[in-house]
Amino acid sequence: MVKSIAQKEFISTLRDRRFVVLSVLVLLLLLAATVVGLYSSHTLQQEREVAQEEVNHQFHNSADRHPHRMAHYGSFAFRPKSTLSFLDFGLDSFTGASVFMEAHKQNSANFSQAQQSSSLIRFGEMTVAFVLQMLMPLLIIFLCFGAFTQEKETGTLKILLSQGVSLSQIAWAKIAGYSKTVALVVTPALLLAGGLLFGQNGLDLQPDTLWRLLLFMAFYLMYFFIFIVLSVVVSALHQRSSTSLVTLLGIWILCCVIIPKASANLGNTLYTTPTKAQMDADVHEEVAKGIDGHNSQDSRAEALKKDLLRKYGVDSVSQLLVNVDGIIMAVGEEQSTKVYREHFEKLTGTFQKQNRISELAAFLNPYLAVRHLSMGMAGSDFPHYLHFQNKAEEYRYHLAQGLNHIQATRLKYKDKTTRLSSDTWKEFKPFTYETPPVQWALRHHLLSLTALVLWLGLVCTVGMRVINKTQIV
Amino acid sequence: MEFALEARQLKKQYQDKLALKGLNLQIEPGEIFCLLGQNGAGKSTTINLFLGFITPTSGAAYINGLEVATNQLKVKEYLAYIPENVMLYPNLTGLENLTLFSSLAGFDYSPESLMQYLIEAGLPSEAATRKVGAYSKGMRQKVGIAIAVAKHARVLLLDEPTSGLDPKASNEFSDLLLKLSGQGTAIFMATHDIFRAKEVGTRVGIMREGELVDVLSTTDLNANELENLYLNYMHA
Repeated sequence: MVKSIAQKEFISTLRDRRFVVLSVLVLLLLLAATVVGLYSSHTLQQEREVAQEEVNHQFHNSADRHPHRMAHYGSFAFRPKSTLSFLDFGLDSFTGASVFMEAHKQNSANFSQAQQSSSLIRFGEMTVAFVLQMLMPLLIIFLCFGAFTQEKETGTLKILLSQGVSLSQIAWAKIAGYSKTVALVVTPALLLAGGLLFGQNGLDLQPDTLWRLLLFMAFYLMYFFIFIVLSVVVSALHQRSSTSLVTLLGIWILCCVIIPKASANLGNTLYTTPTKAQMDADVHEEVAKGIDGHNSQDSRAEALKKDLLRKYGVDSVSQLLVNVDGIIMAVGEEQSTKVYREHFEKLTGTFQKQNRISELAAFLNPYLAVRHLSMGMAGSDFPHYLHFQNKAEEYRYHLAQGLNHIQATRLKYKDKTTRLSSDTWKEFKPFTYETPPVQWALRHHLLSLTALVLWLGLVCTVGMRVINKTQIV
Repeated sequence: MEFALEARQLKKQYQDKLALKGLNLQIEPGEIFCLLGQNGAGKSTTINLFLGFITPTSGAAYINGLEVATNQLKVKEYLAYIPENVMLYPNLTGLENLTLFSSLAGFDYSPESLMQYLIEAGLPSEAATRKVGAYSKGMRQKVGIAIAVAKHARVLLLDEPTSGLDPKASNEFSDLLLKLSGQGTAIFMATHDIFRAKEVGTRVGIMREGELVDVLSTTDLNANELENLYLNYMHA
């Protein structure tokens, strides 16, 4: 019974030329976005790999230098593109691609695509995620707005019901038929994405990536299903197709445009972020209260020297077994890093509070829920960016402290002229970065996941209850 | 005995108007009852109450002795409904429409026997495989009849089924009704066509402002007398 109505919806839709044209357009957009996205993220990834190898090579083969000079030359960490980021660029275009890692200073990632491109990028990018999140709901609305109103307008609803079918049976059958139609549009693109991914990585494809891809698809299918059921319910509530369409378009504008924008603005107003200049100034001021490794007249450095003399029972710093210059550098680094990390944590805390607002708004709006989950699975969300930034900072700290250690153990006090050969630099392992596993990504989006599941349950239970109360005449 | 169709003190009150004022009616199997009345007299309300599409304010409608309001799905097994303007799914062919609707009623006919129902209803066989979007009103009506006949319903509810049909189609329709009634189907038909009502009806009811003002046997009068009587009631 359900099957024959579903089949009827499917066949009718396929015979409707307007809808076929629209679907083909969306499908082409999806396919184009997949191919272009994969190509551009592949190019970016290769650029970054080459650059990373280049800086690693340069570091390991540097000219003979004083270790602290080496720390100032520093190194770079390039953020690898996560394998699935071609599906959803997320914040990637706006967050930096590389971190300059040097002594005394913690730089945040720089050189984002947005920084380097024209303002066109601000208009939004044509990504798979954009088509799936914004355009697919529109297509679904055009597909489903007349689900019940058309049957009411033509009177076929009465004939259907007089054949002994219940309203909720009709609703579920229609939902099944529409789901099949939507699958026809989405599946080729998802298959292409999966196929290209396999083609590129062959059997090396990590199970983690596969899980991310499967979850990515599952979340979108849930999202589409929510929109289909919602559209059918709205259609059942109206007597005329035109008003049903207007209502649904209103819902679309609210969900996909107004609420996301409003929640972002609200987050920004409630939790203001300091400007970069302000934060740099604050960090600098606080660091200045600690030891300055470069100032031999620094009174706190003097105090540290005295402590060391007393502790080891010697008269002068040259009698110490280690080079006190290196120690002072290490203590200075430790202090400045501590200050910076405190400030950075405060800043990311603010960002997270802002994000929390939009995560909570997902309970009002399934679009936001799927947007967060999509970015999370693609590895292009804020937590992933932060993860990279922290790993780079960790590496920087160990690099700087490693070089300070070399200065303390292999160089004499006040020795500023000795140059160590490049073999010394080869002792440092180059920076490598691994994207965290899928469970980690999911853990950061539990709120959005709950919201999506809640929406699904809500439209299926409350929605159907509403449909059963539909006025037939 | 059990009536095929029965209304007991059936009343429907809308917010601003009393659409049906306590209807009492019994229709036996094989009987054709024609309900005459102006637009808004309560004819469609009565049919919708029998179909269970609206719930009565008081009283009850029965089909085969089952109360409609409490046996929504069960009573549908016994009845078939043909609206004034049978709108089908324009993107499907006549045969596909019939296949869909009869499968919804729980029947699993072969394509040949479905085709037979369409031809018996008077649809040219070459039209059956064309999309309904290109059908005339009469052709759609015939598919509607085929849907009703294929259901083998004991009760047929018709809401102005012949309005807008040409005389030939209308005549064929009457023949079909008489055939069904001969097989024991009870037919309840709301209509404006007094002559058709006289011709096929066993009894004729006249409804005015939600009230059944008269019920007559068609053997008692001819079409002209019936029209005069009808006009008298309307002018009263």
